[in-house]
Amino acid sequence: MTGARGKTIVLWSIVWFNLIALSLPTIIILGASFTSGDIVRFPPDGLSLKWYARLWLLDDFKDAFLRTLYVSVICTIVSIPAGTLAALALTRYRIRFRTAIQVYLLLPFTIPLVVSGLGMMIVFGEVRILGQLWPVGIGLCCINLPFMMWAVSATVNALDNNLENAAANCGAPPLQAFLTVTLPAVMPGVITGALLMFILAFNEFLVSLFLTDARIVTLPVSIYNSIRSVITPDLAAVSVVYIVIALFAVWLLDRLVGLELFLKSK
Amino acid sequence: MTSPLPVVELRDVSKSFGNVRAVKNVSFTLPRGSVLTILGPSGCGKTTLLRMIAGFDAPTSGEIFIQGQPVSSVPPYQRSIGMVFQKLALFPHMTAAENIAYPLKMRRYDPATIPGRVERYLQIVQLSGMGTRRIHELSGGQQQRVAIARALSFSPDLLLLDEPLSALDKKLREEMQLEFRRIQQELAVTTINVTHDQREALVMSDEIIVMSDGAVQQAADPVRLYREPSSRFVASFIGLTSLLTGRATKIQAMDVAIQVGNMVLKGRTADETIQNGAWVECALRAEQVRIFPAGKGFAEFDNALEGVVDQQIFEGDRMVYQVRCPALGDAPIFVFDHDPAHHQFHQKDDSVRIGWNAQDLLVYACSDA
Repeated sequence: MTGARGKTIVLWSIVWFNLIALSLPTIIILGASFTSGDIVRFPPDGLSLKWYARLWLLDDFKDAFLRTLYVSVICTIVSIPAGTLAALALTRYRIRFRTAIQVYLLLPFTIPLVVSGLGMMIVFGEVRILGQLWPVGIGLCCINLPFMMWAVSATVNALDNNLENAAANCGAPPLQAFLTVTLPAVMPGVITGALLMFILAFNEFLVSLFLTDARIVTLPVSIYNSIRSVITPDLAAVSVVYIVIALFAVWLLDRLVGLELFLKSK
Repeated sequence: MTSPLPVVELRDVSKSFGNVRAVKNVSFTLPRGSVLTILGPSGCGKTTLLRMIAGFDAPTSGEIFIQGQPVSSVPPYQRSIGMVFQKLALFPHMTAAENIAYPLKMRRYDPATIPGRVERYLQIVQLSGMGTRRIHELSGGQQQRVAIARALSFSPDLLLLDEPLSALDKKLREEMQLEFRRIQQELAVTTINVTHDQREALVMSDEIIVMSDGAVQQAADPVRLYREPSSRFVASFIGLTSLLTGRATKIQAMDVAIQVGNMVLKGRTADETIQNGAWVECALRAEQVRIFPAGKGFAEFDNALEGVVDQQIFEGDRMVYQVRCPALGDAPIFVFDHDPAHHQFHQKDDSVRIGWNAQDLLVYACSDA
């Protein structure tokens, strides 16, 4: 009895420690963003929304925000077909050089982001697209694609191996079977992966730092630049905007695939 | 004069994967409306055979005919074959009704007739009113029924069952076996069923083909297959069977005397090639052996010997004994006692006498001789 009780106490202590350690910075930022004072501190000196109001007036941040949105959308739009088809091909079909392709596509994970960023900067410079915004989206898509493939592969692996055969048996030619059976069946994975890609691109800093300049700076880079000059509570407010977007993505995920995940566990 | 065309005909169908010959020269014909079960241990090539009939794999040699037409160059989606897959392969993003309607849509049925047809098949599999349920909202047995309805809704020439019942628990499985039989007879659909479950094969089939190592061992109706297995393999695969190895000492037409250990047993064979002095294998069904306490007489049996109970298992409706007979070189003999409630129980290590008749000891030429 006491052994089980002791185990419960230890486990819950660890859980709570982790929860607090993980959420404390967020809570502090959240509090600091509502301060009525002029410096980032916790607990805040009084409550106000003035930093959010100020944020709205800061065109630099607003533009950076819109640029980040643009970059993330491009990254997501490119990654959906690329990641979905790659994952389907690698997990579902017997193709030549399968392992080699798999390793190649997962390469971004093993290469430090600094190296990827530098490499892309040089390549983009060579082909004269450095300094434009859309290549940043492509670059972020490349480095995060493994996440998309993992999300889709997980769904594909949970599917019955005979799903396409069943469709063929029902009279569906291959393309029809793909569009009406395979694709809808992997949709939960595609949605999960797409939201993940969006959030990752939205937060990406290091590679963006290499690929952007003062004219096309994205929000994370912009925040970094501000920190280097002066730390004001508007940075906390920006961070809260980030948190809200992330929470929105999680909510969306739950709404879109929550039921489907249920299905997968069956 | 035209005899009715068989729905399916296989002529010398073989399939190799690399150096492995998964299916070796299989031929059979299947008349309209009958149920064929391909029975065999896993890896015997039965699923490969089914996949070739469905069109997912092409035969390496030989030809498959469906309704008299060779189908080697016909892709699976142009064959009129319904299939129930091992793990069902229902479409997870569709409702039960949408699953059943899918083959109708793909096969371009008049959209106006589809809902009525779906409703009819939901009724046949006893799922009326469940059409709007998602697949994961249905129980295992209900999912089975949806899979059956999906395979049958377009009235295919042929229904294929790839061990769809193997994942179910025993009670549900036996229920679904009878259910399949009912639906099959109601719709008179020609069916090929693949299984490793001997009971399922006996219950569901008009004809059984026993396969091992890619080759057909025996093709017969269930009763003949059970009563007259053509080889030691078939005899041991169906039913609980004791196996003995011995030497033929005296052969008179079908009657054979076999020396096993120190005993000479009387048996029967259908194999005319067995020579005096040849090594033979004998198979004995557990239900043909009677068991008595030691010392009790039973002159009516052709073979009678002393033994010791090695194991006894109570199965409710019957008792299964494993008896060791020193005279046979300690080979185990399995015995069913079908009326355990009214008979004496024999405990482990009890001395007993067992007996059986010559006609029940099936003698085969040694397969590896």
